[in-house]
Amino acid sequence: MINKNSKLDPPFSFKTLLILLLLFIMLFFSAQRVGVPDIFIRLYEASLDVVGIKDSSKIGKGLSRISQEMWPPVVESRKDINLILNFNENDLPFFSYTESFMEQSYEINPDTLLLEKIEEEVVFLVDPLGYLKTVIIKIIESIEIAFWASFLSIILSIPLAYYSARNYAPNRMIYYFCRSIVSALRAIPELISVLFMVLAFGFGPIAGIMALGLHSAGFLGKFFAEDIENADKGPQEALIALGVSKWKVLTVSVLPQVMPQYVAYILYILDRNLRMATVIGLVGGGGIGQELKGRFDLFEYGHVTTIILAIFVVVFIFDQLSAKLRTKLIGGN
Amino acid sequence: MINNLLAIKSVKKVYEGDIKALDEVSLEINPNEIVALLGSSGAGKSTLLKSIVGLVKLDEGEVLFKNTSVIGKNLKILRNSVATIYQNFNLVVRSSVIKNIMLGKVSKVSSWRILANIWPREIKLQAISLLTEVGLDSLDLHKRIENLSGGQQQRIGIARALIGSPEIILADEPVSNLDPQTAKEILSLLKEKSKENKISILCSLHQVELAKSFADRIIGMKDGRIVFNKLTKNLSEKDLNMIYKNKIDYYDK
Repeated sequence: MINKNSKLDPPFSFKTLLILLLLFIMLFFSAQRVGVPDIFIRLYEASLDVVGIKDSSKIGKGLSRISQEMWPPVVESRKDINLILNFNENDLPFFSYTESFMEQSYEINPDTLLLEKIEEEVVFLVDPLGYLKTVIIKIIESIEIAFWASFLSIILSIPLAYYSARNYAPNRMIYYFCRSIVSALRAIPELISVLFMVLAFGFGPIAGIMALGLHSAGFLGKFFAEDIENADKGPQEALIALGVSKWKVLTVSVLPQVMPQYVAYILYILDRNLRMATVIGLVGGGGIGQELKGRFDLFEYGHVTTIILAIFVVVFIFDQLSAKLRTKLIGGN
Repeated sequence: MINNLLAIKSVKKVYEGDIKALDEVSLEINPNEIVALLGSSGAGKSTLLKSIVGLVKLDEGEVLFKNTSVIGKNLKILRNSVATIYQNFNLVVRSSVIKNIMLGKVSKVSSWRILANIWPREIKLQAISLLTEVGLDSLDLHKRIENLSGGQQQRIGIARALIGSPEIILADEPVSNLDPQTAKEILSLLKEKSKENKISILCSLHQVELAKSFADRIIGMKDGRIVFNKLTKNLSEKDLNMIYKNKIDYYDK
């Protein structure tokens, strides 16, 4: 029987409105604290500057120096021939050529105590694609870091996932222990952990691999474990009733169910590691990031543009590849 | 000395919220006997079947297999001589037909073979011959379970049960997800295999007519208690009225 007096819940009540109002007030104060209005003010000033109504703006000042030097991207490399051992002008490297120009400097003449202008000819060896080669080598190093880090994280996360799945952990203690390890790994950002890894392993790719690998092991461990927990219980029950051991149940009945998701997670982690591998170089983790940081600090913004474009191309290509791989591995039903 | 295969002695199980799933249930199953558990939903049939293989922990009472109590090490012996069939088939849906059948013998396959996915040849051959026995000889061995019909899935469930050459099959409403015609076919297949291989069956069922044609003995359950325990030929209308509240239930179920 349907009770005629029963009412459906209203879509919202006075309480909901109150909570929304409270949230709004909190947002208002928080926006003032962190300076959200400044975004609009600065952008407004900048747009006036561009149009010509205003003389200068903060954004304009900040970016004007860089923006002029950022284009065109630098792909050539040049080197003073005096710094090259056994330089032979008649036997230049492939595609390279030399460029010379006069360099002016001032020196005090000890006799007259006057500043004198000295002109000196400096010759550079120019490799037209030299810098691009350096960037490609560095970016390959970053890709390698990403792959090794993902590999490390998969290896680490398999036992972590097994022991931090509630229905497969041998006991409560081990379950909580592994869960806390997984959370801890995930809680420390790569950029922070790479600082410690640099202390432990020194500057270079190994620090990056360790930092990225540990962090993504936390992710994979959590995802893998949760999928094991949520897998269909029916087939597992059927096998347990036949006296099959736990890990055999896992391999034959749970793994086929969760495999598509696992592939998706691993591809995501690879993608993520690739992007992060370009960043961790900034703090000493090796790869293209180190080069980027160096050039930025030397105010060589043309080189920076080349690096950023290269990173973009690699990430874009990998996006396309992983999308194809995903449909091939998962979509092919 | 009593020579029954499986005996259940006054078992009790109370779920959270004081729901009595099993209340002083005792029954025996003899070798080569087909026993049907009859009762409406919530009568405790599933709990009883699960408790036999230790998937549900009993509060009181014990299960005897060949006159020895099923605790600890003996549970392993029991589990190696039973097979289970389920209402929703409980197959690994993303796996192939042949692999699902072979799963019935997975406990006898060494660990490295499972990791490398290399199954012994004799088990493979046995699985293929069983596929013919359950009437699916034209089926593609490598077809995924999720692409099969309900009837086909249950036939594979039966094949998975038979490959372990069990002494007793526990079936939990094996036909309630199937249409009436398929249900009849599945039960007669199960009966045929049981007689061929001398396997006892304990099977919970909803439908009275199916139970009558299938089982040698019918046990009626209601609210966790056994109401009657009679050979099929001695069954009367009065008994059935005791487990089903009214006529609608009787015909509906």
